[in-house]
Formats: sequence, C-alpha cells, structure tokens
Amino acid sequence: MELPLTELRDGESGTITSVRIGQDRGRGHGRGGRGWGLERRLADMGLTPGTRVTAARSAPLHGPLEVLVRGTRLALGRGVAERVFVEVER
Amino acid sequence: MTDNRLTIALAGNANVGKSVIFNYLTGLHQHIGNWPGKTVEKAEGTLHFKGYTIDIIDLPGIYSLSTFSIEELVSREYIAVERPDLVINVVDASALERNLFFTLQLVELETPMIIALNQKDMAEKKGIRIDHEKLESILGIPVVSTVAIKGVGVYELLETAVGIAEGDVDAKPSGVRYGDEVEMRIRKMIDMMRDAPLKYSPRYTAIQLLQGDEEIEKEVSMINPEVVSTAGRLTEELEEIHGHPSSTVITSERYGIAGRIASEVQKVTTPTKQPLIETLHNITTDRFFGYPIMLAVVLSMFFTVFSFGDLLSGLLGDFFSSWQAIFESVFGAGVVGELMWGGVMEGIIAGVTIALPYIAPFYLILYLLEDSGYLSRMAFLMDGLMHKIGLHGKAFIPVMLGYGCNVPACLGCRIVETERERLLAGFITTLVPCAARTVIILGLVGAFMGIQWALALYVFDLLVIFALGRIAFKALPGEPTALIMEMNDYRVPHVKTVAQQTWFRLEEFIKMAFPLIIVGSVAVKLLEVLNLLEPIGRILSPVTVAWLGLPAVIGVTLIFGVLRKELMLTMLATLLETRDFTTVLAPLQMVVFTLVAMFYIPCVATIAALTKEFGWRKALFITVFEIAFAIVLGGVAFRLLPVLGLH
Repeated sequence: MELPLTELRDGESGTITSVRIGQDRGRGHGRGGRGWGLERRLADMGLTPGTRVTAARSAPLHGPLEVLVRGTRLALGRGVAERVFVEVER
Repeated sequence: MTDNRLTIALAGNANVGKSVIFNYLTGLHQHIGNWPGKTVEKAEGTLHFKGYTIDIIDLPGIYSLSTFSIEELVSREYIAVERPDLVINVVDASALERNLFFTLQLVELETPMIIALNQKDMAEKKGIRIDHEKLESILGIPVVSTVAIKGVGVYELLETAVGIAEGDVDAKPSGVRYGDEVEMRIRKMIDMMRDAPLKYSPRYTAIQLLQGDEEIEKEVSMINPEVVSTAGRLTEELEEIHGHPSSTVITSERYGIAGRIASEVQKVTTPTKQPLIETLHNITTDRFFGYPIMLAVVLSMFFTVFSFGDLLSGLLGDFFSSWQAIFESVFGAGVVGELMWGGVMEGIIAGVTIALPYIAPFYLILYLLEDSGYLSRMAFLMDGLMHKIGLHGKAFIPVMLGYGCNVPACLGCRIVETERERLLAGFITTLVPCAARTVIILGLVGAFMGIQWALALYVFDLLVIFALGRIAFKALPGEPTALIMEMNDYRVPHVKTVAQQTWFRLEEFIKMAFPLIIVGSVAVKLLEVLNLLEPIGRILSPVTVAWLGLPAVIGVTLIFGVLRKELMLTMLATLLETRDFTTVLAPLQMVVFTLVAMFYIPCVATIAALTKEFGWRKALFITVFEIAFAIVLGGVAFRLLPVLGLH
C-alpha cells in the first residue's frame, strides 16, 4: 500500500516510491522550478526512491516527523513529509 | 604558491567533529569573518608544522555540493576556484553512508584530498568497525583514523598532509563509476567539453549539468551553448528510462555507491546498547514530556544567566566606580573630565558590566546545548509553531538568543538557510525583549505595579512577535523552506571547543558593539554638557506629551535609549528627580512608557548588526518601522487601557 510518510504509524517502516512536488511529473519535470530544489535537498539527505525509512515519531502542533534513514535520524517538516510516498506492507 | 606554505580546507557534514579538529589544529590562532559578500561564516587559522606554515579554512558543515544553500555554494566555489592544496574531508565513522555521499562529490571535483575518519570510538559503541585500509584502496586516497575530541590522529593527519605536499603520498582520488546509463552520458559530456576552460573539473561539470545545476548551466552556456542543450537531451533520456527527475536518479546512484562502499569496508556487529542516549532522545522529543523539559531547560538557562550576570555585573560596577576619582584627578571635573568619565568610560563600563556578564554565559550555555545535540531537539519541538510565522524550527534558536541580547541573535539568524528567512528571523529577533529591556520591564512595571503586569507585557510581546511575524511572512515574497535537519546522537559536549566558540563570538560582539556604545555614550554626554537635552525634550513633546501622555522629559530618555536601553530607567530617575516612580508616573504611564521602550527601536548596536547582515536599507526600514509601530502602539494603549480600567 502506498502512503505519504505522515500516514505511517510510529515505528512503521516503508520503502520510498516517489517524492511528489508540484503536479506535473514526467519529462523535464520542474527543472529549476520551485519544487525541484526541495526534491533534490531530500535526495541529498538520503531520501531517494527505493530507500527504506522508518517513521519514529511526530511532534505535536502540526510539527515535524522524525524519520530514520540510512542509519541517521532526520527531522522533516510536515509539509515535506506529506510529499514523500512510501510503500508499506499492512 | 610560495614554498613551505600550504592551504588546507576542512570539509564535511555538520556535527562530525570538524570544528573540534579545526580548533585542535589552530588553537587560538584563528580568525572568524564572513565569506566575501555572504552572510556565511568563514573560519581561518594558521599553524606551523615541520617547517610548513599551514593555513586552515574550516568550510561550513554541509551534506552536498549543490546550490540550495549559500553554504554549499560557498564551499564548492572555494574548492574549485581558490584551489586549496588539500581538502581534509572529515567523516563521521558512525554514519559512513551519508558521509561518503559527500565524499564522493569531493572526489568528483577531483581535488587532492584525504579522509579523517572521525568519531571512531562512537562508531565502535554502535558496533561499527571500519577497515580503513580497504576504504583507502577503494577511494585511492589516504584515510586517517581520528578521535578528534581526544586529539588522536590529528598529528598523523598533518604528517599525511605534508607527505602529499612533498609528493610522497598520492592523494588524487580515483574515479567512482555510476551505473552504465548514467556513466555513458557523463563520458559523452566530458568528451564534448574536452578543451573548454571550465571552472570545475570536467567530470563534476558533466554530472552537475545532467542534474540541471542552473549555475553551471549558465557558465557552460557562455563557453559552448551546445553542451547545455545536449545535457538537456541526455537528461530527458535518463528521466525517460528511470521515471524520476535525473537529479534524483544520479543522487540515488551516488547514494547507492556510498552504501556499497560503506558495507564493503564496515563490519556491523550488535551494538553495545546505548540505552541512556536513546532514552534521553525519546524523552526530550516526547510530545508530552518534551515541552515541559524544554521549558525547564530554557528557564534554568535564563535563571543561570541572569543570576550570574547580576552578580558579575555588580562586582564589575563596583570595581569601575572606584576609578572615577582617579579619572577626575587626571582630566579634571570640567567639560573634558565629564566627557571622559561620563562619556567614554561610562560607555566602556556599560559594555563590560551590562553586556558581557549576560552575553558570555548565554553563549556558553547555548553552545553547550548545541554541541550536546539538544538544540536540534528544540528545533524539532518548535517547528510546528515557528511555521506559523513562516520560519522553521531552527529559527527558534536566534529568537531565544534575543532574550539575552539582540546583537548575537541577529548574527545567529545565519542558522536558517535562505536570505528571505534570515531577514524574517532577524526582524523577529529585534522585537524580543533583550536583557536591557528586561531591566526596564522589571524595574518599572514589575517593581511598581507587580510582577503579573510584567508577565502580561512579556505575553503581549510574544503576541506582537507572532502577529508581526505573520504579517512579515505574508508580505515577503517567496516560499518558506521546510525543515530538513539531522538530529545527531546526544553526546558529552567538548568543553574546549565550546569555550573557544564562546570566546570568538564574544570577540565579534565586542568589536561590533563596543565602539558604538562608547560613541553613543559620548554623544549623549555631549548633548547634556551643551544643555541640549531640554530643547530636545520640548521638540519631541507633541509625540511624548500629546500623543503618549507622558512627561516631557521622557523624550530625552527615548533618545538616550537608542544608544543604551538599560540606562533609560536610571536616566528617567535622574530627570524626574526620584527613584520612586509611583509619585511621578501613573500606572498607565508606566505601561505606555515600557511598551514604547520595548518596541520603539533596535538599539544602535543591533542596528549595526542588522546592517552587517542585511544591508543598510533593510536595517533602516526595520528601524523606522519599529519607531512608528511603538509610537502608534503606545498612543493606542494610552487611549485604550483606561477603558479597561487602568489609569
């Protein structure tokens, strides 16, 4: 089942399928566009398709998510985490 | 390059012990400035080793060499354009995969480099053992194991560096291959650019072009626009094959390579459990316990800072006041004597007794918290709230600093990524009541009307910050950056590094603020000596008396407060000829005065800090805005509060 990271239960893991920023996907997608930087920043931190992530916890007040990826611990703002889709087995 | 002089750049992720190594190497022989034209810190230092004079540049802690933060841009330009003799890539042995991802980009830049495999002890606690000879042979560069906090391996690092300078050790990294589809296209690009005068290495340029790096596209298109259009075509092919943006494809492959190398060189056994570190992390980020803990930490920090500051401030004040007689005997009691003592010396004394006793412990504690890892947890907890004013969690740190002094808070805004958010954060921090304004709030409203009124003013200030922050956020064009932040494991802070950071921070503060405080102090004294204070009070009376309903002498204190807010109250006492303010000011007037004092202008040192960070136009705008805002607010309060029963 494919879900945004924010829908994972605490402690649940999944494999990243895509990072969806902006509507138009596919060819020449958003080069230099506003979402492009975000996607690349996420990738630079190791959140690339095919990577295994674990949602550790989320902060209240619509706060960020703590995720474990590639042996490190990241805090991801909720707005970003909503755009990272993962495949989970439920 | 002159003989026997070496330039070494330290590069690596944040929190890998880079600054510990830097401090170990350079000790107090360092200089912290800014990169030309950028609000990014540049730390440089010098040391002597085996007949070499070695300049060390500490590059900012970054995760990639793309262009999404100024830090990344500055770093890659430095390496490519200034071409240091050597880059020491500091790598956290306990998070090898992520760190090697950055290493691979340095390799692509084809700069001579060595790896400092740091925090080996931490890695071993996590059950990670690294075969560093194997890592050496895979990357083709020397790898030195270090435990920087104990100084282990630092000597070997320098020896290796000198070995490279003398040509005994080879430090040219060997190529790292991507998957065939990507690699083929990289080669094609390199072939096209064979003789082009490129800023970066051909391989790095090729890879960046395939990732759609706008800055590099611009540069290459000036040399050969055909290359860029070919890159565009190849990029589309890659996107067609993989179904993801090509930058993601390449980044993903690079991480794949990093992961493969990591698993080849490291042996992971069951970690010796670190229950304490884990428990500490869980409790401090807990959705229920996290906030009370944070509140307790912040309050105890303020309590420590203010009680220590008060004590030290008092002692220093007594010490200095004993000098007055000496001064008067030297300069006489005339105009010159007044200017020397009341102007210059009082300025210095104010700086030393008011600013330093509070700022020094504030910095010290803050750096301890940062080094231990707690600040990133605070940012995690505060992110949701900070987002409402268009900032992310990290911006909470300069805001907190602002309660000590707005100057370091302003400089601390460099912690956020974009210029827009730096400005937003800078503006917010000037609205935070600093120690000097706290003196007024507590000394007037708190002392004569009760602490509940003082607290109400603090709460009101938070509301104003929130409201103005939100307006500024909506008014400034652009999108807010999302929080993407690594939370390192908790660790015991390295006291020596923390102490050094505090010292350099203080030095920066002294250099910037002291001259202004002294000049300001002399200027005010001069006005006093020339009997200009009263006319100024009269000129301002339409605002102070008619609009704000305050005594005319207040105008003078407002002028004075631009320079030194903490003395507004003392000044007021002198002008009103009493310390018992209840006899001369109604409660309503106290509140109005305090409100105006809280908001009406950043002090002159803060204006200087704003100018340094954002340019004089923006500094001027913020200043003018805050004066207008405070006056309007004060006038409204003067008319509105009586309705609510305050007279």
